[in-house]
Amino acid sequence: MKYAYFPGCKIAHHLPIHGQSVEAVCAHLGLELAKPEFSCCGYPVRHESRDASVYSALRNLALAENLGLDLMTPCKCCFGNLQQARHQTNQDEKLKYRMKKMLGEDGLPFPDKVRVRHFLQVLDDLPGGVASVVSQPLKGLQIACHYGCHALRPENITHFDDPLAPTIFERLVAATGATPLPWDLRLECCGYPLRGRDENIADLLVAKKMAGAKSSGADLLATACTYCQLQFGSENQKRPQTIPAVLYSRILGLALGLSPDVLGIQPGDVLARFVV
Amino acid sequence: MDFFSIGLTLACISAVGGIFWRVRGWRTRGSAVAKPGSGGPRQGTFRAACRGLADLVFLRRTLRQGFLRWSGHMLLVLGFLPLLILHAMDGVVTRPLVAGYEPTLDPWQFLRNLFGLISVFGLILLFWNRCKKLKKFSVPQDWALLAVVFGLLVSGFFLESFKIMSAGDFTRMTDDYFVEEEPGELISLKAYWARENGVRFREFMPTAPEMMELGAELHEDHCAGCHAPTSSAFVSRSMTALVPAAWHIADQGRDLFWYAHVGLAFLALGLLPWGKFFHPVATGANLLARGGRVNSRADSPPLIRGLGLDACTRCGQCSLHCSVAPIHRVMGNADILPMDKLSDLRRYLGGRLSPARTGSLTEGSHICTECLRCTEVCSAGIDLQDLWMASKKALAEAGRAGVDGEIRKRTAGEWSRELGSRDLGRIGGTGAGLADRAESFWGCVQCTTCTGVCPVVAVSEDPSRDLDLAPQQIMNLLRMGLKAQTLGARMVWSCTTCYKCQEHCPQGVPVADILYELRQLGAEILRKKEGRS
Repeated sequence: MKYAYFPGCKIAHHLPIHGQSVEAVCAHLGLELAKPEFSCCGYPVRHESRDASVYSALRNLALAENLGLDLMTPCKCCFGNLQQARHQTNQDEKLKYRMKKMLGEDGLPFPDKVRVRHFLQVLDDLPGGVASVVSQPLKGLQIACHYGCHALRPENITHFDDPLAPTIFERLVAATGATPLPWDLRLECCGYPLRGRDENIADLLVAKKMAGAKSSGADLLATACTYCQLQFGSENQKRPQTIPAVLYSRILGLALGLSPDVLGIQPGDVLARFVV
Repeated sequence: MDFFSIGLTLACISAVGGIFWRVRGWRTRGSAVAKPGSGGPRQGTFRAACRGLADLVFLRRTLRQGFLRWSGHMLLVLGFLPLLILHAMDGVVTRPLVAGYEPTLDPWQFLRNLFGLISVFGLILLFWNRCKKLKKFSVPQDWALLAVVFGLLVSGFFLESFKIMSAGDFTRMTDDYFVEEEPGELISLKAYWARENGVRFREFMPTAPEMMELGAELHEDHCAGCHAPTSSAFVSRSMTALVPAAWHIADQGRDLFWYAHVGLAFLALGLLPWGKFFHPVATGANLLARGGRVNSRADSPPLIRGLGLDACTRCGQCSLHCSVAPIHRVMGNADILPMDKLSDLRRYLGGRLSPARTGSLTEGSHICTECLRCTEVCSAGIDLQDLWMASKKALAEAGRAGVDGEIRKRTAGEWSRELGSRDLGRIGGTGAGLADRAESFWGCVQCTTCTGVCPVVAVSEDPSRDLDLAPQQIMNLLRMGLKAQTLGARMVWSCTTCYKCQEHCPQGVPVADILYELRQLGAEILRKKEGRS
């Protein structure tokens, strides 16, 4: 399988390990990644301008469509906004007309065929399943999964999983040999969208969320979104007693037997005891 | 005091004073961006210095962006630097160092033409590159720099060309260095120079072989010690063909182009510290300082930040590859793109940016997603990422925290009083208008599910104090057409966009989408208020 890989803006500087581990996992699983020069998904600017947000998203979809590939992103916010943009243009004829016109001026098609896939969905769809390729099962590791709002809701637009009782993340965690634990706040917001806008509430949200994950008894909090990981990661740095947040791509990479260097696993990390 | 010494003095004052002023600005503006923190990891200094030097000498970062611009630049540098050192500064470099140096002897005469030609060729490539790829980003000073250097080079060729043809110059030389011992010698020398070296005399020149022979002998004895054949000035000599034989304008042309050439040289020297003319200095220094890094070193020291602010060559690569360029296309604010944002940031830090433009800078600064791409492609090696992150903080500290910051400066009640009397319309006439449509709230029975599931409401100790209105209250006010009453409510601006309200609403009210719409409307109102859009 080959996908147009959409890393999103934050990976390059703020979370390079996410891109690095996702790409390593894909290479190991034989998933080819094309890398056209994508732009912003339009998510951050959605507060300021609908047209700018939708156009920015559609332009990326058009680039993927030009390659004849489906688009895959490891970020839930990028995923959500790309889906939102298409939904909004389909709901609003005038918006669609404006977008078609601008894309046409760029020499790009209106993207109606390309599918937007999140990294987790691509893994979940693998023929034979992820479990069949796991070589180093992470026995005894207990994981609290954090879903990430923008992939999950609104379900009629994102088509990610059941918005009230999703199972995809737990399924993929179980495939690595680890044990997913149930907990109350797994579908709640991490608080990142309020960073720089309302720091106080962003802090309250992340603290509540991480306390909930910790009380579930899990060893770590698994994430599959750049923004969520940034939010939890900075909390981990500020307060070392909080439950460590780890990207799913790193967890899976370890179960696949990838090198700890590529996955950024250092001695003392919560995953270090599984390094063979 | 003549033209030359006055010009040179003024140019030197401008250059030295200006450079002093620029370098001083590195520290002041660099400190104004933000206080440096602990500083990022440092590289081994020797290896970093080597990499920085390689970036500078081979223009490696420019090469990554395409062969055309690199070759244009390389040719211009390879041609212009020797001209600057060997020709423009010959009085202090070539003459003291090379015994018997005369500008009219080879190899100097030949090399001057060669280097000039290489420079012109490089300049043409750069001009073509700018026209082809960068026209929409270019400002007058981009063209001015190309024009001044081009004018300098071409006027040099014309000057030499008219000097070759000038009978006046010939006579001045023979008056000083030639004494006719027998009649007919001078006319023979003239005839020889007219035929061999292209001097144009008003009078008819004999062509008899014996006179030519005599002329050649005299030339060997009296002239050849300081004059190579003008044919080695292959560009200038060829250019004499441009002047029709009947036009005896060589002396006037020589004077005109002497003033043009020397004047442009002084202009270039005087302009060196100003605007883009400074880039050969600042960009070179920045490449060395960056030591070959393409990623960002967080928390650079002030001096490096200040140098980075000055090192832009306006090559436009950052803006061409910018991740938020599509957003710029829709919103039209030039400060969304890195190249213009950088020059406005410089002005802002120097206290020279208008309030309206500062609003644009703030918006651009907040729309930037910090994706690192501009830093990676920057051919001047500027750590733009560090500048964007630091300046976002500095702007916020100066009370410019973007739309959210502006809204939060007033209470919901104050906003409602200000906006209450206005027709707010739909979202700029372009939005879906969910907040204006009665159908959006048709099913709302005020069941408070949206408020009940809201994580923001849940973490607030006192929602009516922290958030002004709960989500279901906002829906109710909108249903009654009281949009202005909702726009400043903290709930609208502290919505974390988790979409739980919308997902859980049993009546299908698009609560989160409506809150998004209100924020878009708020942003638009502020843009209009600041005189933008």
